[in-house]
Amino acid sequence: MIKLPQINFGKLSLLLAILVWLGLLFVDLVRLFGIINEMESGIAIEFTWILEILFFLMVYVYYSYSISKNSKNEFLNLIWRAASTGLFAVVFSLLIFLFYGSLGDSRLSQEPFLRNFFYHISFALTSIFLISSALLWKHLILYQKNKRVVKQWQAYEFAMLGAMFFIFFNQNTLDYSFLFGLVLLIGLGLVLSGNLKWIPYLTFKEKWKSLLFLFIILLSCGFLFIQLQGFTDKVIYPVNLTDNLFLISLFGFIFSYSLFSFLVTLFNLPTSSVFEQKLVEAISFQRLSQSIKAEENEEQVLDILMDSCMSASYADGAWLEMDREDQQVEYLFERFIESDTRQELSEIINESVDSQTAPKDNFSSNANLREVQINHPRFESALVVPLIINKSTFGRMIFIKEVKDGFNNEMINIISTFVNQACIAVENHRLLNQAILNERYQEELKIAQRVQKALLPAKLDHNDSFEISAYSNAADEVGGDYYDTFKLDEDRFVLIIGDVSGKGTSAAFHMAQMKGIFQSLIQLNLSPSDFLIKANSALSKCLERNHFITVSIFLINTAQKTFCHARAGHVPTLHYDAISAKSDYLGLDGLGLGILRNKLYEKHVDEKTFTYQSGDTLVLFTDGVVEAKNHQGKQFGFERLRTLLEVYNKHSSKEIQTKLIDSLHHFVGGDGQIDDDYSMMVVKFN
Amino acid sequence: MLNIKGLEENGYHILALEGEVDASNSVILDEAIQGLISEGSLAILIDGRELAYISSAGLGVFMSYLEDFQEKNIAFKIYGLTEKVYEVFKILGLHQLIEIFPDKQTAFSS
Repeated sequence: MIKLPQINFGKLSLLLAILVWLGLLFVDLVRLFGIINEMESGIAIEFTWILEILFFLMVYVYYSYSISKNSKNEFLNLIWRAASTGLFAVVFSLLIFLFYGSLGDSRLSQEPFLRNFFYHISFALTSIFLISSALLWKHLILYQKNKRVVKQWQAYEFAMLGAMFFIFFNQNTLDYSFLFGLVLLIGLGLVLSGNLKWIPYLTFKEKWKSLLFLFIILLSCGFLFIQLQGFTDKVIYPVNLTDNLFLISLFGFIFSYSLFSFLVTLFNLPTSSVFEQKLVEAISFQRLSQSIKAEENEEQVLDILMDSCMSASYADGAWLEMDREDQQVEYLFERFIESDTRQELSEIINESVDSQTAPKDNFSSNANLREVQINHPRFESALVVPLIINKSTFGRMIFIKEVKDGFNNEMINIISTFVNQACIAVENHRLLNQAILNERYQEELKIAQRVQKALLPAKLDHNDSFEISAYSNAADEVGGDYYDTFKLDEDRFVLIIGDVSGKGTSAAFHMAQMKGIFQSLIQLNLSPSDFLIKANSALSKCLERNHFITVSIFLINTAQKTFCHARAGHVPTLHYDAISAKSDYLGLDGLGLGILRNKLYEKHVDEKTFTYQSGDTLVLFTDGVVEAKNHQGKQFGFERLRTLLEVYNKHSSKEIQTKLIDSLHHFVGGDGQIDDDYSMMVVKFN
Repeated sequence: MLNIKGLEENGYHILALEGEVDASNSVILDEAIQGLISEGSLAILIDGRELAYISSAGLGVFMSYLEDFQEKNIAFKIYGLTEKVYEVFKILGLHQLIEIFPDKQTAFSS
């Protein structure tokens, strides 16, 4: 394939049209010359016809190209194009008329060449007007097209094409076949003229303009038609270009479509405001729907709502009342109304709303909208529209009018639809904000969880004399369980396990306090009971009144093979005695920290030193372990734990811990089932 | 689930607890005791026979009023705790601070 350069069809067809026209002019003038000088020019009449048809086709190509290229094909623009072309043709004809009028009876006025020249120009302009108008009409007819209309139009175009060549068939005589073709084509044109769907979309102003343009077209059409009928003198105009089926049926089509459009537009004038209103409502509705997605805030949505409702109801004034959290009413968007007038009206409306009983049909969608007649010097009716989300009212809009019964059912319906849509938008905004807030809280809790995890020791202090392992799990993101170790010297280690009353965030804060107290007090080399007394006194200052902390503390001395133990209200520690091969709880009295916040606490603390053997095991834990319940509501309990340690005591501390926790999980039926914090620390002496 | 029934007997305001006291409903217990104190009650008796479980939050409620009871000279007693619930009081050491009795009669006569 040879690659053709980009052909500009518009310019090409325009150039060809001009050339063809010049050719046509030349051929006809030559023939005229022949006739005048009684010579046979030898140019067949068919040659003229072919050029004429070519001219039509070129004009058609040019206009269909230029119209389709012009993307801004607004209806008014299209009609104006047709009207201006028509006007141009008419003005030109008038100028010729004037020209001949000024010539009077001079020789020049009888000059056949000049007359024919002007005739050809008139013909060209008329053809251009008709063909371009037909193509413009095509756009109007095919607006909101369906298959049937497209088919009709194609049929019409083919029929018109046929009409161009009809001249070869009937030699331009007015016979029955000509009449038959004319009736057929005009009939088709009339059928097409019924497609006027574009008219309702014009605004009121545009309708007036289009009426004017259509009137111009009608006049031009009539004028040009009558004028062309004047070129019938066989002597002056030997070749008749215009008594042509194509042109005459085009005249019919252009005229009938213009006339139809004119009349329909005229009769549509009174209803156009309604149509415009509906269009505005549709656009408002769309804006409201879109505001759900867009990042507009609540106020913007309500702003759009107010505008939409005001234009839908032709209200003379409006305002919005928002119920704020502090029971106050906030007044927003006062439209066309003074603050003090609004104040007066507000009171009047409140009174009349209270006095009127609620409508009976509460189930209808706009049952909540209430039109009230008010007694005010200026305004006589008001529409009260509550804004409802999740069955609770968060505000109301009030529209007022200067006439009685100003709000009809259509207005109330459309306003109700707007309000529903806007309420959905507002609700979505609120839900979204809540979701974002929740997300942030979740994020914060995750941070808290991480921080708390870091409060538990990553490495447990010990030496070769004992193994140690620990486990902790919180019911919520953060919990109140605590364990820690401290190395006093090479042989002495302190272990602590604690449980803050309650769970969750508040417990987590107290747990952090406990860690601080432990880490600072333990460095003072205190005995376990002294530590508890000091810790109690410190916590008395910072715990809430109904909170307490229970702890168990062990001071292990590996050189002496002893451990000193004190308990402050904490669940007793399980001890496995390797010699007797029995496990038992270290029952020791001791009051929880923060319960007695005075000197009396000292009386309630005990401490006791035990010696240990190799193989002895300590299991420190929190009450979440023994209080964990299975599906039958049965607690894991102290006894079960005690027996389990007797079974698993041969294992390492890590293994014992894993076995015990696994048994616990198995007992409750999954580790997600325990709704309390639970922790465990296992010490096995070597 | 926690149900609290209040009645008066022998000069005591009796709060009969039924069910479980945990973090979610300890407020109810707290309000009940607070109510009695503000009414000017001088003798409060907790009936724990139907108390199935008490969590640390529930114990915290009793604990938080210990000072008030002492200051206002209010006799505060508990009776009829099941073994399991008594164990919880005992572990925490509260049995050293609150008078706990096996039954109503001993509570009255002490």
